[in-house]
Amino acid sequence: MKRLYLPLILFLFLVMEGVALDLLPGSLLTGDLLIVPHWVLIFLVFITIFYDKETTYFSIIYALTFGLLIDVVYTGILGVYMFSYAFAIYIIHLLNKMLHGNIHVSILLGAVAVILSDISIHVIYLVAGVNDMMWKDYFMTRLLPTLISNLVFLVVLYPIVVKRLTTWGQEQLSRSNTL
Amino acid sequence: MSFLRRRKLFIFLIGFIVLVALIGFSLRDRANLTIAEQFVLDTVGFAQKVVHTPVNFITDIFTNIDDFRDTYTENQVLKEKLAEYKGLIYEVQGLKAENEELREIADLKESDQLRNFTPIQASVMSRSPERWVEQVTINKGKDDGVAENMAVITPDGMIGKILTTSSSTAKVQLLTGFDQFNRISASVSREDSDKDIRGMIEEYDEESGSLLFRIIEESDKDLKEGELVFSSGLGGVFPSGLPIGEVKEVVPDQYGLTRTALVEPAADMYDINQVIVVDRAMDEEEDTADSEEEAE
Repeated sequence: MKRLYLPLILFLFLVMEGVALDLLPGSLLTGDLLIVPHWVLIFLVFITIFYDKETTYFSIIYALTFGLLIDVVYTGILGVYMFSYAFAIYIIHLLNKMLHGNIHVSILLGAVAVILSDISIHVIYLVAGVNDMMWKDYFMTRLLPTLISNLVFLVVLYPIVVKRLTTWGQEQLSRSNTL
Repeated sequence: MSFLRRRKLFIFLIGFIVLVALIGFSLRDRANLTIAEQFVLDTVGFAQKVVHTPVNFITDIFTNIDDFRDTYTENQVLKEKLAEYKGLIYEVQGLKAENEELREIADLKESDQLRNFTPIQASVMSRSPERWVEQVTINKGKDDGVAENMAVITPDGMIGKILTTSSSTAKVQLLTGFDQFNRISASVSREDSDKDIRGMIEEYDEESGSLLFRIIEESDKDLKEGELVFSSGLGGVFPSGLPIGEVKEVVPDQYGLTRTALVEPAADMYDINQVIVVDRAMDEEEDTADSEEEAE
């Protein structure tokens, strides 16, 4: 049963992302800034740092699944979020070996993950012709606001999830780690 | 070690190929979603319905507080308007009766009218967090009679069209996400209906934040700022008479042969809660929608 917690929480964040923009004041939406909630990704970063061991790759599997779900539910262009999230989480998984998990490292890795995945999304959409934003505009109007807002979310979430993830990780991964 | 590294490269390459294949698959003109996608959409849709209610409750409280502040001034304006409407009602009643009589004489059925439609009430459950994809999800789907290409309106005006449906949800593509493949035949009415300015809403231009209304048939060059653009119903997909937006500016195109009006959408694309899906009443062959898109 406990193994179902992670997918359920990720699913909850996936659903919450759809109403996330309602919670922001309207002036932010009509303005130039594009704030994109990457809450699923932030939680995946936590899973990578605190739940996964060096030899387990649950976070990447979740990144693939929930990236694909975001594609299906919110954009209709399959594969984009799936690839970007999995790629970003894989890099985080590599970096995590060198760093010890605490709040500063989480913020750093969270920032890296958001930047990597968002740029990757931008590049794929550019190639696919979904949008045609200039790089300079992209950095100022989308990447920066998105990064800051998601880091705020990360800091808020940190005290709530870290202990639980660590205990779940120890309970569930010490016995069997076949992945 | 070299084997490990090679395996990683291999996985990365396979991932890339899958990505390209998936994007190619989804950017194709798909009439229907796959069963797996519909299943996911219905499941997530159900969860969204659950989550939407408390979130909506909270946001409503904040809007209510805002509303209270404006109540007094708004009330004054509304009272004045009400007085005007009483006069209008009599006029409309007269016109309606006359219209019906004329229709009987001309022997037209209800469904022959381009203007007629069956409304399907729906509420917006979620909005795509990816801001480049202008989509919202509504809580009515195939089971409620929603189908692809139906127009979606709010009381203010048109906001988009149905993109895809699953059995209990549907995705709406907003006007702000319209590209060259989603055109709306539109017109600006004149007193003499032969002199209506007709044209085509071609796409949404992000730089100017407005829809591009290419004027095809320009009887006179007197299109002014602030005039309302309506859907004309001639395209065969949307009914006529749905307000689309207001003319902001009229500019000549690069060759100076035609003119394009910049149209600001009448409805607010960011604060949408209740929408009406417009089921065009006019009987038409199934293939009209498809053939029209090709023709345009």
